[in-house]
Amino acid sequence: MKPIAEPYLGSSAQRCAAAILAVAMLGAGALGCTATYPADAVEQSIIRLCQQEYKIDVKVATVGQTIAIYLPLTNLLDFTFTVTPEASDRINNVLLCATRVVISTNAQFNFYCVIAHDTRLPEIQIVIIKSVDDVKRFLLSDVSRSEYSKRMLIDLRLSPQAKKEKVIKDIFERMNLDKEWQEELLNDFFRTEPAALGEIGYWNDRFFIKDITISEFIAEQIASRVKIEFKDIPELSEAFLVKSSDGKYMSDQGERFFTLEVLAVNRKFDEIDRDVSSDVFKMGLLVAANVVHAYKFEDFNYIDIVNVRDYKHLKVSRETLEAYRLKEMTFDEVAQHNLSL
Amino acid sequence: MIPKRIKMYWRMYWIRLVIILVIILVLILSVVGLMSLESFYRNITLATMPINLIMVALNATIFVFMYMIFMRSGLAKVRETKVNSELVNVKWDDVIGMEEAKREAWEVVQLMKDRARVKQIGGKILRGLLMLGPPGCGKTYLAKAIATETGIPFLPMSGSEFVEIFVGVGASRVRRLFKRARELAFGYGGCIVFIDELDAIARKRVFSVFGGTEETNSTQNQLLAEMDGLQEGEDNVVVIGATNAGEAIIDPALLRPGRFDRKLHIDKPNLEERQKIFEYYLSKVKYDKGSIDIARLARKAIGNTPADISNIVKESALIATRNKQDVIVYKNIVEAIERIEMGLKHRRHMTDHEREMVAWHETGHLIVLYLLHPTDDVFKATIIGRRGALGMVHHNPKEEYFTESKEKLLADIKTALAGYVAEKIRFGTTSSGVSVDFQRATSIAHMMAWSLGMNDVGLVGDYMQIPEAQLSEETKQVLNKEMDKIIKKCLVEVETLIAKERVIAERFVKELLEKEELDYDEIDAIFKEYGKSPLKM
Repeated sequence: MKPIAEPYLGSSAQRCAAAILAVAMLGAGALGCTATYPADAVEQSIIRLCQQEYKIDVKVATVGQTIAIYLPLTNLLDFTFTVTPEASDRINNVLLCATRVVISTNAQFNFYCVIAHDTRLPEIQIVIIKSVDDVKRFLLSDVSRSEYSKRMLIDLRLSPQAKKEKVIKDIFERMNLDKEWQEELLNDFFRTEPAALGEIGYWNDRFFIKDITISEFIAEQIASRVKIEFKDIPELSEAFLVKSSDGKYMSDQGERFFTLEVLAVNRKFDEIDRDVSSDVFKMGLLVAANVVHAYKFEDFNYIDIVNVRDYKHLKVSRETLEAYRLKEMTFDEVAQHNLSL
Repeated sequence: MIPKRIKMYWRMYWIRLVIILVIILVLILSVVGLMSLESFYRNITLATMPINLIMVALNATIFVFMYMIFMRSGLAKVRETKVNSELVNVKWDDVIGMEEAKREAWEVVQLMKDRARVKQIGGKILRGLLMLGPPGCGKTYLAKAIATETGIPFLPMSGSEFVEIFVGVGASRVRRLFKRARELAFGYGGCIVFIDELDAIARKRVFSVFGGTEETNSTQNQLLAEMDGLQEGEDNVVVIGATNAGEAIIDPALLRPGRFDRKLHIDKPNLEERQKIFEYYLSKVKYDKGSIDIARLARKAIGNTPADISNIVKESALIATRNKQDVIVYKNIVEAIERIEMGLKHRRHMTDHEREMVAWHETGHLIVLYLLHPTDDVFKATIIGRRGALGMVHHNPKEEYFTESKEKLLADIKTALAGYVAEKIRFGTTSSGVSVDFQRATSIAHMMAWSLGMNDVGLVGDYMQIPEAQLSEETKQVLNKEMDKIIKKCLVEVETLIAKERVIAERFVKELLEKEELDYDEIDAIFKEYGKSPLKM
């Protein structure tokens, strides 16, 4: 006779629990493999999300690995020429929708930008450019909130296309060309893909966008951050006003390099003769070294920092820049060998 | 039947089942929750899940470790082993070498099987069965066979599992065990609770003068209460207890009818049983049927339990393997018996004189044992040290004896004294090697004179039971003189014998010095050469 052992639920329960856990893990794993926003419906996803969740109508266009969202607003700026809270809120909502889509899609996007327009003043636009990697790193707490905000490019400006078309249209008017012919000429010769980040925008129901590269994004970010630092550091902000800071990534005679042109003026009359160049160079060096290191960008030979006020140049090689970041060289040592007029 | 079983499972495991259901629900909700997340956040959650699981497992391990160390008197409790009831698969025919106990146990099986019929007739239902006997005789094995034969669940526990430093823990374990047994009996129509090493909780209770109580008292009280409870209830739960301790050790309350109704004495196997046991264990290994005489082995293994015999066969298999043999031969079994009974050889570096003295000492024992001992056979003589002794004459009883005759006791004394006499005859002096022999001889003689009435002065009775103060000096003197007389008489006989057989003794000394060890066959052959044969009873 076969004996009856004590019915032992323990082992069967463990087996059952392990099986359920395994099925749950596999199921969750399989679900994890599916992107929420498929690559072929990214644009529609952003439009739908903005509409469904915030009742905002946007237009979306993609070029290469960059996605652009156009947000028309009725009250972008107030009479003091600052962004109104309502507009800021709507821009943030659109940014959030765009962020959700670009991080949960199987399409490869490196950058996305939001172009906000005031429909009453279409010549004025705000362009916000973000790197998808920066967003992911911020969400994973790999970068701080302040650093994340500095990595965003925010630019309030006149639409470059509008400026360009206004000049051309003036010429056409003087030439007495009819409207249709003017439009045709503009379409054929003057409404082309922008060459630089500064030319990105939206004008006359048309996106003017380009596939943003990491190099030009870094160049712009260096310029933007220098401006921010000159504003944030009390000693500098009290003494100087940065009127313009322009960063570019260029290639010439087989060499690739960044240029940073900074125009800063003295705020105080009695310090009118105080030399700004050393502060510009110091700040430029420091910001450039940190930014290229943060993105692990090595595809450049040197950086050329120009103080526009006196056209002094500080041309620093990649190796020297890294040595300066690592505090292996002082600013004076860097300047001694690399400063030129 | 099926709803009853389901009900039983629910009663037994409702907490576990509820936990499992809750876990399943939580898992389903987790999956639903994960599904509602966008892929980026879902991926983050899934990516961190393995490390989270590891961290939770690590934390739990640390917690359990600390809990066991500080709250449950160490990890020893965790390692406590239980007999796995799933492994109980001992068939009735597998139980060999305890025919008498088997017959009695079969009755128990029938009583358990025909419980309804017993009740119908109005007979008493069996509640408890106590198995008593020396260790290694197969009590646990028989209990498992009863469980197999009755076909009802078997809950094995060791008495030591109830013993705890905290008062009340043992009692709560007893309660839990019987609760489980009743539940199983409800589902399967019966259940056997087997408590091994019952003496751990069933010893006579101790009541402290300070009014306190021992932990085992409360455990035993609970066991008594539970067994009484069985009587009242309708559940077919039978408690089988097993112990090496005698009946006298067990608390009388447990032995009264209604608790352990039946007592089953399981003794060491007799010759016939040993033969069957050898046959059984040898059938499981490859052995040389030509060289191994099982009947002879059974005779050699007098006093061995089934566990000992199993051990002998296992050890001989190991020896055969070590010798790169394909089958076990007789020599391997003899070597195994030697190892188990005499211990491992331990060669010491002795001077020639010392070796000769040891050889003479052992020869003395050997001659007296062979020629004068009525019950024992010489198994082996050796001058190789084992278990701290420099030499040894190993002997076994020829048959099973349950009493010791005066002649046997006298022969034991003579055998013990023979080493001393042999040393004295050959060297004119003696060594400290006689101390253990003297202890044995004195102890037997003392017992004969004082306790067994084997004296010549007619003082019959066990004088050891009388407090020393109540014994007269004269009686003491007389008894001690009788004891002395026994020893002296034995000494004279041994001296005479060894002096007479000096030629044989010298021959054995020579053989021992040459070969160091002599087996029964060699010893017997030498004696036969001189026309001697062992004393027949």
